[in-house]
Amino acid sequence: MAGSIIFIVGFITAGVAAAGYMLSPKGPNQVLYRTMILMTLACMYLMWAITYLAQLHPLIMPRRSDLKPEHFQQHSMDG
Amino acid sequence: MSLVQVYIPTEGAATVVSEIGELGVIEFRDLNPNVNAFQRAFVSDIRRFDEMERKLRFLAAQMEKASITAQPLMPDEEVGRVRTAQEMISLEAILNNHETRVLSLNDAYAKLLRTSLELTEQNCVLQRTTGFFQVAQDHQEEIRRSFEEPSTPLLQSQFHLEAGDDSQRIHLGFVAGVIARQRLPTFERVLWRALRGNLHMNHVEIDEPVTDPLTEEAVQKDVFVIFGHGAEIMKKIRKIAESLGGTIYNIDANADMRRDHALNVQNRLEEVESVLESTKAARIDELNAVARSLNTWMTLVKKEKAVYHTMNLFNYDVNSKCLIAEGWCATNRLHDIRRALQTARDNGNMESHSIVHVLPTNKEPPTFHRTNKFTEGFQSIVDAYGIARYGEVNPGLFTVISFPFLFALMFGDLGHGAIMAAFAAWICVRERKLAHLANDELFGMVYHGRYIVLLMGLFSMYTGFIYNDIFSRPMHVWHSGWEWRNVKANQTAEAVSVGVYPMGVDPVWHGADNALLFTNSYKMKMSILFGVLQMSFGIVLTIFNHLHFKKRSSIWAEFVPQMLFMQSIFGYLSLCILYKWSVDWYATDANGAPLRGQPPSLLNMLIFMFLQPGTVKPEDQLFAGQATVQAVLLLMAVVCVPWMLLAKPLLMKAELDRTRNAGYDTVPANAPVASNGAHDQGVTSTISTETNEDGNSAHTFGDLMIHQSIHTIEFCLNSISNTASYLRLWALSLAHAQLSSVLWDMVIAPCFYMKGTARIFALFIAFAFWFITSVGILIVMEGLSAFLHALRLHWVEFNSKFYEGSGRKFVPFSFTDVLTNEGGPQEQE
Repeated sequence: MAGSIIFIVGFITAGVAAAGYMLSPKGPNQVLYRTMILMTLACMYLMWAITYLAQLHPLIMPRRSDLKPEHFQQHSMDG
Repeated sequence: MSLVQVYIPTEGAATVVSEIGELGVIEFRDLNPNVNAFQRAFVSDIRRFDEMERKLRFLAAQMEKASITAQPLMPDEEVGRVRTAQEMISLEAILNNHETRVLSLNDAYAKLLRTSLELTEQNCVLQRTTGFFQVAQDHQEEIRRSFEEPSTPLLQSQFHLEAGDDSQRIHLGFVAGVIARQRLPTFERVLWRALRGNLHMNHVEIDEPVTDPLTEEAVQKDVFVIFGHGAEIMKKIRKIAESLGGTIYNIDANADMRRDHALNVQNRLEEVESVLESTKAARIDELNAVARSLNTWMTLVKKEKAVYHTMNLFNYDVNSKCLIAEGWCATNRLHDIRRALQTARDNGNMESHSIVHVLPTNKEPPTFHRTNKFTEGFQSIVDAYGIARYGEVNPGLFTVISFPFLFALMFGDLGHGAIMAAFAAWICVRERKLAHLANDELFGMVYHGRYIVLLMGLFSMYTGFIYNDIFSRPMHVWHSGWEWRNVKANQTAEAVSVGVYPMGVDPVWHGADNALLFTNSYKMKMSILFGVLQMSFGIVLTIFNHLHFKKRSSIWAEFVPQMLFMQSIFGYLSLCILYKWSVDWYATDANGAPLRGQPPSLLNMLIFMFLQPGTVKPEDQLFAGQATVQAVLLLMAVVCVPWMLLAKPLLMKAELDRTRNAGYDTVPANAPVASNGAHDQGVTSTISTETNEDGNSAHTFGDLMIHQSIHTIEFCLNSISNTASYLRLWALSLAHAQLSSVLWDMVIAPCFYMKGTARIFALFIAFAFWFITSVGILIVMEGLSAFLHALRLHWVEFNSKFYEGSGRKFVPFSFTDVLTNEGGPQEQE
């Protein structure tokens, strides 16, 4: 199932986050580093996952009326 | 944060306080709040320093007039060193000396200038009037004849013959002087009317303008000579001339005498000029001497003034020969304070020690968040909402990431984000060189928020990549998940899904007729998901506040029902969004028959969850057993309302009753309670009166109920309106994407349809216009609007969930603050 990649990436992100948590330099700013690493990874992962999930089982197909047939001889695409 | 008490021996108090000021770690409390500002112990000293400051300002103003710049402050220890009282007294003497000398030189200079002006004018009068006298002499005969006519009998008695060398001459008096040119017509007219024409007036312009020594304005002036006769008339002329601001100079009628006079005046003028020059030089020398140390003195006086202002806050006891100060300081800086006091004692050769000891207290300390140059911008975003209570969870920590991220959701464009990030990075790299911009009105804001802008730019690049927008154009990083098949001319084609675009929105949607249908649904749902997540996170943070403020019961009485309420409605909605996405609604079984019906609308689902609890139409069903789940969730949310409303007040009432039954009663709010055990010296009890600030016991059950019902209603309504409020993430993002694509389509795209050189020129001009508009409108204006919306989401939607922000900022007494902001915090008269 194509959706399983969301969990795989999720586990990878969690691993990176754990590594960042462990490796963040000691000192007065450690809490800041940890919070930043965790939140950044969480936000970035979530946004990617939501975007991926939203396109996993599309409900509508893109439609265009301005395409020229001669451009699609080799099944090439144009956005 | 600890409340400390410092005993400072009176003899060297100023030295000790200066040492503390250099350190800048204690915020002193006012121990004489009832004493008027004019009755405090060190008012006379402050007056003295005010006077010194005035003198310094006077000298600085004088230097500015003479365009001498004061030497910049050397960052050496001369300035940093604490001064003794003797040094301050000698400094006072030096300042006095300088001021009197500058004043006397100014005086002398002004006097000399006036003399020189008079002499110059007199010189002009003497030179210019020679001609008139010549003419006047020629007309003598004519005038006399006219007087002898019988038609003018009234005047007859007034003239007499001069008894000089020529007995036939009439005695004609004259007035000579100088008057401003613009006054001359008035002067002439007034004279004419007052004397009925019995005068002969001459005037001539002085070529170069004369400078007025008082106003330092250049004035154009005229020399005038008026001939008339009779003492009365002459007196009138003089009066009128003086009243109009003219200056009258006595000159002799005799030509030889006039020549001598002129010579004399010239000599005197030369003398005066030379004295004037030397006075000027002496003044500049004096000011140059002052310029060398003016800034040092200024710093010293300001520091010393701040020290005495601070000492006014202390308890001053004449008998015990010591000052008692009380203030807040960070507990881990106590050691530094002790060391500073020791240094002060060694430097000042004092016999007695200063003593610091920590007071046990139940007062709420001020809040101190240690920030660095990176976090201070984010902290100021939070502080603008409210200063955290002491020990309260500081949202600033989370704002560091959540703020730029929410901004980026609205501003997602790789190109715009890159420009923003590059600009901010440039400021960050050159922050030392650009530090002078910090005080600039327009640019200062960007400078202070440079790290915020940097993160905003970086996150915008990421969200732009996910939205697949670079200056509103798509990027084909991977193969699209769609293919166009059976494309026919002038017919609407529909793409066929062949996979999922691995990262971000598929570029195929750019330019598709139904692109907005997809992006709107996607961005709206994403806004709700992030909104529910951030609000739930905010509610979770209340646990830490409840634990810190020792209100364990609040976790059960507030946190749990709030969380349940939120999750049973909006958590459920979020799950449904994810579920709906994860299901393939068009999947077919082996025979090609559809497995599921049409995908149901989530909005209708949420509405009917409230309107028809327990029933779901089969065609609208999202999953099996949906009706039961929804009924249970709704019941849970409904139960949470009375739970939030009643649990906390009832718990508190029970506690109150228990204490009351045990024989205690509430203490009147303002009664002084000597609640610290530190009055071993007998003095402390008078100053450490603490009022009962723990407001709960003073409140009645009714107050609690009202407060709690407001809180409950607010939470329930807000959880709905705040979730809707997160839709602004979608709206702003939509607006940004549409605006930038319109700009591209209107400005750049038409150029591609042109042919040959016209295309090159058109593109050149269009690109300039497009780029300027992109930066000005899409980055600056849209960025500002997205910034404001991100600010609102943090202040209203996120902070309101857990952040009280009712604290007070820790403002330590520090010389750096005193010197940087004019006046300093002590000026509170």
